[in-house]
Amino acid sequence: MSGVPVTPRAGPPGGAAGGGTARPRLSRAGRRTAAPLRGGRGERGRERGRERDRERDRERSGAMSDIRHSLLRRDALSAAKEVLYHLDIYFSSQLQNSPLPLVDKGPTDLLEEFLFQVPKERGAPPKRLTPLQELQLLEIMCNYFQEQTKDSVRQVIFSSLFSPQGNKADDSRMALLGKLVSMAVAICRVPVLECAAFWLQRTPAVFCVRLARALVDDYCNLVPGSIQTLKQIFTASPRFCCQFITSVTALYDLSSDDLIPPSDLLELIVSWIFEDPRLILITFLNTPIAANLPIGFLELTPLTGLIRWCVKAPLAYKRKKKASLSNGHAPNKIAKDSASGEDRDCHQLYSKLHLSVLQVLMMLQGHLTEKNLYGRLGLVPFDHVVPLVEDINRLSDELNPLNASKEIELALDRLAQALQVAMASGALLCTRDDLRTVCSRLPHNNLLQLVISGPVQQPTHGALPPGFYPHIHTPPLGYPALPAHPAHSAHSVQTFIPGMTFPYRPIR
Amino acid sequence: MRSRPRPPPPAAADMSALCDPPGATGGARVPLSAQELSQEVKAFLSGLDPAQGTPLSPAAHARCALRLLRCLPPARHAALQHLRGLFDEQVCAHLLQREAGAANAASAASPGAEALQEARRALAELVAANPRAWAPGVAAWASELMGQLSSKYAGRPGVPPAASLNELLQLWMACPATRALLDIYSQCLAAMAGSCPDACVDALLDTSVQHSPHFDWVVAHVGSSFPATIISRVLSCGLKDFCAHGGGGGEAAALGDKRAPKMASVVGILGHLASRHAGSIKQELLRMFHESLGSSREHHKATVPFLLQLALLSPALLATVSAELVDALQPPVLNQLHQHFSALPRDELEATAGVAVHLLCHASAGALRTLRFLLATAAPASVIAAPGPALREGVREACERLLQLLLLHLQKLVHGRGAAGPAEAGARPVPFLEALRPHVRELCQDALRLERRRGLWQQQLLALLAVHSAPHGAAEALFFLLALARTPEELALAPQLRAGLRAVLPDPLPAAVAAAVAQIHAGRLPEPQLAQLLRNLALLLQPREPDGEPGEPALGAALARHLPDLAQLLLHPRAEVAEAACRLLAACPLPRALPPAHLLPAVRAAVRRFFAGLRQGDAAAPAPGARLLARLSAVSPAAAKAVLAQLVEAALGGRDAELFGGGDAEPDGRDGTAAASTAAPTAASLLDDNRRLTAGPNAAGGVWSVFHAGVIGRGPKPAGGTARRSAEELSRNTQAFLSLVLRCCRGTGPAVGAEAAKAVAAALVEAVCPEAAGAELAWPPEELARATVERDLRILRRFRRHPLLFPLLRLVAGGRPALCYCSVLLRGLLAGLVAHWDACRAGSTAASPWHLRASCALVALLAEGSLLPPVLGNMHELFPELAPFEVHLLLLSVWGYLRDNSPLPQKFTFQPRLGAFRRDFGRDADLGKHLAVLHSVLHRNIHRLGRLAARFYP
Repeated sequence: MSGVPVTPRAGPPGGAAGGGTARPRLSRAGRRTAAPLRGGRGERGRERGRERDRERDRERSGAMSDIRHSLLRRDALSAAKEVLYHLDIYFSSQLQNSPLPLVDKGPTDLLEEFLFQVPKERGAPPKRLTPLQELQLLEIMCNYFQEQTKDSVRQVIFSSLFSPQGNKADDSRMALLGKLVSMAVAICRVPVLECAAFWLQRTPAVFCVRLARALVDDYCNLVPGSIQTLKQIFTASPRFCCQFITSVTALYDLSSDDLIPPSDLLELIVSWIFEDPRLILITFLNTPIAANLPIGFLELTPLTGLIRWCVKAPLAYKRKKKASLSNGHAPNKIAKDSASGEDRDCHQLYSKLHLSVLQVLMMLQGHLTEKNLYGRLGLVPFDHVVPLVEDINRLSDELNPLNASKEIELALDRLAQALQVAMASGALLCTRDDLRTVCSRLPHNNLLQLVISGPVQQPTHGALPPGFYPHIHTPPLGYPALPAHPAHSAHSVQTFIPGMTFPYRPIR
Repeated sequence: MRSRPRPPPPAAADMSALCDPPGATGGARVPLSAQELSQEVKAFLSGLDPAQGTPLSPAAHARCALRLLRCLPPARHAALQHLRGLFDEQVCAHLLQREAGAANAASAASPGAEALQEARRALAELVAANPRAWAPGVAAWASELMGQLSSKYAGRPGVPPAASLNELLQLWMACPATRALLDIYSQCLAAMAGSCPDACVDALLDTSVQHSPHFDWVVAHVGSSFPATIISRVLSCGLKDFCAHGGGGGEAAALGDKRAPKMASVVGILGHLASRHAGSIKQELLRMFHESLGSSREHHKATVPFLLQLALLSPALLATVSAELVDALQPPVLNQLHQHFSALPRDELEATAGVAVHLLCHASAGALRTLRFLLATAAPASVIAAPGPALREGVREACERLLQLLLLHLQKLVHGRGAAGPAEAGARPVPFLEALRPHVRELCQDALRLERRRGLWQQQLLALLAVHSAPHGAAEALFFLLALARTPEELALAPQLRAGLRAVLPDPLPAAVAAAVAQIHAGRLPEPQLAQLLRNLALLLQPREPDGEPGEPALGAALARHLPDLAQLLLHPRAEVAEAACRLLAACPLPRALPPAHLLPAVRAAVRRFFAGLRQGDAAAPAPGARLLARLSAVSPAAAKAVLAQLVEAALGGRDAELFGGGDAEPDGRDGTAAASTAAPTAASLLDDNRRLTAGPNAAGGVWSVFHAGVIGRGPKPAGGTARRSAEELSRNTQAFLSLVLRCCRGTGPAVGAEAAKAVAAALVEAVCPEAAGAELAWPPEELARATVERDLRILRRFRRHPLLFPLLRLVAGGRPALCYCSVLLRGLLAGLVAHWDACRAGSTAASPWHLRASCALVALLAEGSLLPPVLGNMHELFPELAPFEVHLLLLSVWGYLRDNSPLPQKFTFQPRLGAFRRDFGRDADLGKHLAVLHSVLHRNIHRLGRLAARFYP
């Protein structure tokens, strides 16, 4: 993936926006947008003269090496600024020529050398930005993205800056990205957040998880009370919020005590989703859907992750409590009280979250149908359900069933509900037989038993064999799709959420 | 659903309630809006007031930074960096103020100082709110800043030099800025102490490496505040670093601080803490050691080299651990160690062994235990294994090798030191040997066990120790070897050691002897050992061949110098000791010119010893005493005289008289029972004690414990007169005594020397009749004898009570003309006998057997001493056949002869041919008138005495 930061899956939206504009204008535009990059006000005139020279140079083949030489003489901060400036000019002109710019190696190398401080020559002492300079750089970058009017340029520059290249610059790249996004959250730079949302969409999940961790560290751990700052971005950039939730659920999978989401974070996410459950679907609704989801990227929706949270939470919290007790950290009374109070709060939050998830699943059917994806796109992939069930199985084995029967019951109830609703809404594509095999080893649960054995068949579908949901028999994509259950689908969903508005209409 | 109650306020509030210290307001502060925050960032970066565009004051700028620190996570590093400036400025201000004097010290409440306190509070809140997230970073920041500040202001005039840690500590603790930083750091460390303070300690160490001497005050303060945490963490960080730098033993030792940069600061910190927290350091080090065993993890493998390295760099640490480590090295541990090291390559092993040996040389605490441990492990005492797991052969070999290396190294050190010049000899002591010095005795004891290989090592070590601590140590070692040896084989060690030492040192023997004497004087040697020492010395003095030179001329000379001290031992209350001393002195060559002050006590003591030997009743017992006296008497004529006088005096006076069948010769003339009572063996005798007092400082008893009725604690005096000796015993004693006296009298020649005999004579007179000692030699008329009746009677009684007198007089008679000097005794005796026979009305002389015997003996004596001519001298042969009045007449004629021919020495002439004096009776007056009585008695009894008549007709 080196050298091609723009993945085919999600091209820059509106990538062809600036197509057809004349070249001089663009260059002027580039100059204008580059203005915030240049720190020194007095040297602008001088810079302009040199810049013209450089523009000419760039048209020649060795342009990049010339720029490099000039940059080598500067100090770290001004070199970084200069690189950004050149990048801006470069991509502005590229975008003019073709809607999908090819990023060649030159600019990337420059970025790595001067922005991420990876020394090119062996043994050369790396120029490091001091924390103050770094903060200045961050501010400049925030301002740049804020003031850059062209979406496409912004997107291209962002992705050329922060797409992982699989080299040793990735660490400093991710660190800088973390700080930039964190800063953007704090001072509410929506364009940066939007870019970050897209970045999260087309970057391998491992990197997304790192960004999520950086943000969680900053806003949940480091500064008490700053979670409020993060909360505010719900109004600023729901798209980022959605992607953030997806990456956070990927990060905190409750597989160990460390990977239980901090209560602040949980509260934040629940409050977001509770406020507008369809936040979960924003990415899904606003993204052109490819037939097959690529592996190793974040999912389209955080649904799977959230189901996992809700289902596993009772067991995971129980395990944590047990571990801390067996460690001999018999907490004093006050701590115990407050901890159990916190746990109770968390259980309520999970309960609310579960409700929201179920609601979203139910409204999903309409959107799937609308997008003509009903029965063809499993937003809750069966492949992810299998490990979840296995996890529950293992956890309930681990915990003594006698002590944790309540928690096991709750987890299985939630699982059964989620499975049922997901299957019903077409988010989970599987047969009851598949489900039966997967869930066969779970402890007994009445509700789950019901779900596995199937509902009492509705007479309208007498033609179908019992235990099968009709969407399995919907025609494949391309066939004229008959609305399978008009009575069953849209309006029943609507009855669950009366008065729910859709502030974000799908773009297409 | 909207109507549901909103979730409880953010959990942040709970968290802050949990973690925040009271008064913290971090959680409750209303977050700034995005717009405000953006403004803040701009203001912070530009340093301009966003509203007016004027530059911010430093304090305002700092507050701006603090706001960012609280509200903008990505800006925290920048804010902290900015705060550095604030602290720096405050330190500078403080120092300036200090230089200016205390006058304006009150103006502390500057805006900068307030901002500083705010910063301190803000950081404290943050750290308290979430230690895991903040503490490592803040700790690193604080320690680095403290390091920078301390280095930066180190050269300032008011700042004390880095060496004076206490002043430095005082200065910086008085400065609010550094104080605040230290508080912040301490808070971080305290917050993390429970979970994982590695990061905080690491930061401290890193800074310590960078700003070493100037930063020490921080480490000192933190270290003494958190000893447990700091010690264990410092060690673990050091170990990690050591592993990271590939801590192989040898090269790291050679390159020292370059290879393991943290090592130096680890050592510095621990060294600082060692004074106060030695116990915890020791525990921690031992814990590390034990933990490393049996673990195969990489950094555990490096633990032992690491600990060695650590000890190498810090003598203080070495001292703390070395004493305890040996106890930990039980067989299982040793086996593990062996297994652990057997995997290492050869050169690395060599290097480790080298380091270990070096450390051993420098370890002073527990040196003896360490040594014993090494010896015991290298050469186990018995083949039967101790209970518990057996040691592997490899362990033994390794120990053996270590020991050899150690000896080699010590040798190098010791002899290399000597080569540097005698002036610096004391300058570089080897701690290991230095620590062994007080244990020379134990070492000698060990060495004397002569256990196979162990013995060899011990001897080598002893020699090294002796050389190292020369001259005293050498003497001491030699002394102990001499004192502790029990068998000839063991005794051979001492000359061996001496021979080794003589190669490099002046002969230590005289000093050793002096040391021995000093020890004896101090009473530090138990009696059996003292006897052993004396016996050993005597053994060494014995000639190798029966008639060869004395064994050790140097030893003899050295001993001779301490003659008075040794002589005193002859009077030791314990017979064993006294006898050993006697043997020693008897074997010891005596100097020619012995001052009388030394000689006389020695003689007196030797005489006492001789009699004590006699008293033992063993035939061989008096032999050493006799030998000693003979030697003493051979020293000089005066010595001989002294010996004889003492012998005679002792044999006739005091309680020793009973040895020869004599009673006490008390001048007041008590009867035999009283004499016998003193002769009974009493444990304490005033006379003995007095003798001992004159010979030297008195050790035991004390004269005051002797009382009339007995000795306190020993019951009343036993009733006297119980112990009577058999005739055989008496004769044996007499024989021994006489032969001794004879030996002493004979000097070098075959016959009894005239001078010696004269001395005996004088002594006899003195002993028997002191008041007549100065009496004239000429024989008075018989009538005059009436004037001295009382004296004569006493003399007679004396002779009667002391059977020894006659043999002694015979001896004197042999040394002509010495008997002349006894004339007063003879006279008294003769007068007494005359009076007896005169008064005797018995029919035969056999009625008074003693008087008869005495008369015979007296006449024979006079003849032997050439005081009577042979014809007269033979008449005692008649006495048993005569009547008492006849004997009376005969004795009167003897008196008459002596009256006419006074027994004067002038009548004797020296005959060089014979080498002796002779008396020519031809020159005397006519013998005839003195023979008349004799002849008439012969005639009267011719029927019985006919066969003897021929003897009386010359």
